[in-house]
Amino acid sequence: MASISAIRAGIAANLGTVPGLRTSAEIPDNPSPPIGIVNLDNVEYDGALNRGLTTYNFQVTLVVGRAAEREMQRKLDAYCDTTGAQSVKLAIESDKTLSGEVYDLRVERSTSIGSITINDQTYLAAEFTVTVFA
Amino acid sequence: MAKFVVTTNAITLNGTDISSACARAELVINAAEVDTTDFGSAGWTEVIGGLKSGTVSLDFHSDFGSGAVSELFQDLIGTIGTVTLIAGNGTAASATTPEYTAEVLINSFTPVAGAVGDLSTFSVSFPTSGAVSYATA
Repeated sequence: MASISAIRAGIAANLGTVPGLRTSAEIPDNPSPPIGIVNLDNVEYDGALNRGLTTYNFQVTLVVGRAAEREMQRKLDAYCDTTGAQSVKLAIESDKTLSGEVYDLRVERSTSIGSITINDQTYLAAEFTVTVFA
Repeated sequence: MAKFVVTTNAITLNGTDISSACARAELVINAAEVDTTDFGSAGWTEVIGGLKSGTVSLDFHSDFGSGAVSELFQDLIGTIGTVTLIAGNGTAASATTPEYTAEVLINSFTPVAGAVGDLSTFSVSFPTSGAVSYATA
């Protein structure tokens, strides 16, 4: 099965199908919103004998834009929707095997929907939990 | 050999290695209790061992890919299959990784199971047919 780097890059590539959304497979020093950043949260080994199944839990942090800008809430709503071109869930699940690199993946939930502070600026953001079986 | 955590037991069905789709394996061998209590038992029951039997229980992750485990079971319902289980995280029979071989009646298969959002899995439990053999080499 795939390396963690390949899985991370695959998730970022799927996320990149959302129009206008920048993506990063690694945490950038100065994120330029709107951007989706793919972080590995934890790995569960030995789901089957002979390393037959490993479960990777990724967090995709979506930084939408400055909280003070009026349209940012509407943009965040669209990213969290289950339908539509801006849907992060639809985009990440658009190729659930990441071109055959993994068995399956699922965007389970979006959490921490609200404001975060980066470099003294307040942004609207959300976190998406992605479970990958490989 | 020491105590160990199960990670790599080797499981085959009719010669196909199904270990990497298997999350749990169990072989239970029983002997029936035959009661021999009589007036000379001094108020206690007495038993001797009767017929032996066994059960192979396996938990799998569903996979309908070509040659994968779900496809493998699809055509085997009602047939006798040969299961081998190598214990002790072994890949070959040895004194510390014994290999058990059993003929089993494949009498059940659950091709569809699971709730939304869950990993699709299925469990089987097969009675053995005939002797369960044990090899250390």
